[in-house]
Amino acid sequence: MSGPKVDLEILNRHVAYTGEGISVQSLETDIQQERAVQDNKIGELKELRDRNVNVQKAMAEELKKLRRFSDYLNGTATRGGLMAGFKELLSYIPGLNGLVLSQRSIEELLKQQYHLSAKRVKEAAEYVDTLKKSEQDLYQEIDRINEKIVEMAKNEREALNYVLELKRLQQELADAEQAVEAGSVEARDIQAKRDKVYAKLAEHSTNVQLYGSAEERYALLKESTRKLGETIRNLGQDIQQYTTAASIKLDMASAQIQAIGRAADSSVVMLEMKRSLDVMSESMNVTTQFVSDTQVFFRSNLDTLINDLNTFDESTSALLDENLKTSKEIEQRRIARAIEKATAEAAG
Amino acid sequence: MGELVTLHTQELLGAQARGYLDRVHRALRAARLNNTFPDRRRLQCSLELLGHALDGGIYEELYLDSRTGLPNLATLTRVLTDQEVAQDSLTRMGERDELEARLEEAEVFGRLVDKHDYYQRFQGRELAPVDDQRVLLRRHDPSAGEAAFRIELTKLDGSGLYLRLTIELTQVAKLWRRRAIDLEDDGETAAASLAFRSTIYRCAHLDAETIFVRLHGIEGVAVERVQRGIIGPALYFLPGEDHGLPAFTAEPEGTLGDAWRRWLQQDPEPRAEVQAEPAELLMSFATDSAAIDVREERSNDPLSALLTDRLQTSERARYGALRERYPFRVFKDRKFVATRGLKPLARALCERANTRNLIYDLR
Repeated sequence: MSGPKVDLEILNRHVAYTGEGISVQSLETDIQQERAVQDNKIGELKELRDRNVNVQKAMAEELKKLRRFSDYLNGTATRGGLMAGFKELLSYIPGLNGLVLSQRSIEELLKQQYHLSAKRVKEAAEYVDTLKKSEQDLYQEIDRINEKIVEMAKNEREALNYVLELKRLQQELADAEQAVEAGSVEARDIQAKRDKVYAKLAEHSTNVQLYGSAEERYALLKESTRKLGETIRNLGQDIQQYTTAASIKLDMASAQIQAIGRAADSSVVMLEMKRSLDVMSESMNVTTQFVSDTQVFFRSNLDTLINDLNTFDESTSALLDENLKTSKEIEQRRIARAIEKATAEAAG
Repeated sequence: MGELVTLHTQELLGAQARGYLDRVHRALRAARLNNTFPDRRRLQCSLELLGHALDGGIYEELYLDSRTGLPNLATLTRVLTDQEVAQDSLTRMGERDELEARLEEAEVFGRLVDKHDYYQRFQGRELAPVDDQRVLLRRHDPSAGEAAFRIELTKLDGSGLYLRLTIELTQVAKLWRRRAIDLEDDGETAAASLAFRSTIYRCAHLDAETIFVRLHGIEGVAVERVQRGIIGPALYFLPGEDHGLPAFTAEPEGTLGDAWRRWLQQDPEPRAEVQAEPAELLMSFATDSAAIDVREERSNDPLSALLTDRLQTSERARYGALRERYPFRVFKDRKFVATRGLKPLARALCERANTRNLIYDLR
């Protein structure tokens, strides 16, 4: 028994994929691991959003107190008379409801308020470095994703080349089968070899699709990671700007606040007291305005970003579901597509 | 040159700020302060942390009160609020080793390591408060309805001085209509009423004898002692770096301010324009007591005469009549810590006022 000579060495050749091999399950696991980093950062941003809300509420309250001080001293909040004005004013200071002004030292109150405001600005400023660290984490993540993308692209090319070789072998075996008697032992032997080639073709054309799909998915992941990094960088820069401005104003206001507090304790210089409070109000205004702006930022950007990531999840899940329907028809189409792609690349 | 940046506020940068903190820290130790004064260890602790903040680039400048040469409200509040946010920030930053391992990666990790080290230093440290008022029960005699208290107020005063006011008084319960101090049910703790607390706070910058008279007039209260311990003013002269101008206390007031301006202008050429002078510091520490057990009424403070001596003749007679109602005497004193170049200034002040004061060396 001897048929036409066909070199079958190709069937035994080891295809040099890099990494740990790929399957639908392993690809899903790897992508989920990469996504975990993003989810973590999104979590940090969500926490920041919640904290931002709290800081905004606290600042609004403090600003209100300062404005009441200021308005009162400006003569705009005294409709109910002098004592009513004082009492209303004091009602905005924690723990002072119902007390008369003479019972509290204005200097002490202003220093307490100054301390609170300084702490509030510092709390916000503390997020700047945290955000910069997060940004760096994401850039590191992008480097890792890039390595993955290159690895997937190389493996896809390996798979495509092998598929082309298998296709040629398949053709050679088809030609050889034509040359022998149908139903003969030689013909059966060639058919057995063709089945082996088909099985290999099926396996590696699946790899073409998996590596190709992985490359695209990692590229999408990189894009969303980059967006997240930019979001975090912009937010960090904005917080840095406003906290720097607010703390400079507070530093500059401290001496006035103390001087005016002391003067007010001596029941004098109400007008100057108002001026000093205006300086402090301005500092809180800068901060509050920013915090308010970032609320809009969070609403418009963070939620959109999360939605985009969800959409990305849905589309990849759908792709994986499709992959799991391993019907013969789909497999054949996949093989055909892989061959078509490999042929096109070989021609190009 | 220790520029004035806003009302009574000077800014020190770099080596001048560091040199200032180091010298004031040593002067506080050299002054041998007792508990009449604000706790010097807490103040030193704040200065140390401010030094670390400058070294780590957490802050670039040090704000001082230009009248007293002491850290101002903004500066003392900085470390106090840093201590309040330190633990949360450390938790958010993560482990120092992990930050250090990424030093090459980005500049932010270097800053985070510095900040991590800075915040770690706050653990278990007690800092100088801006305001702190405590009421301590000295003795309680329920049968007589009497309770004796000591009130301690530490305050960064509006004058820029850092002071402690201690008041010892007795309340007689049967005379209480509105109690200045409330004794808790356990008979061992007490709290000043809001009005009384505020009265003390507002009076802290006044002479001890004025406070004595003011409080002794409150119904049911018998004052035994009013004592003030005052840190400052500090006169500093710090040479400029790299041919820069020196920094020096810009707006000291009164007799001390006049002497300081003369010292700055003295031959061979005005110090304010000289670049290579050694650093100098003169710090003063005053006590002012009005108490029933003071033997002789006298001021040994070259910068502050007795109230009686400052009054006009017409007022003096009225004040004399007022004083006859209260059984206390006043004693004022002041000591100095000075570097070699400023010791003559301190001596001259004492000679001129005919007082004998301790002048400790600061090397």
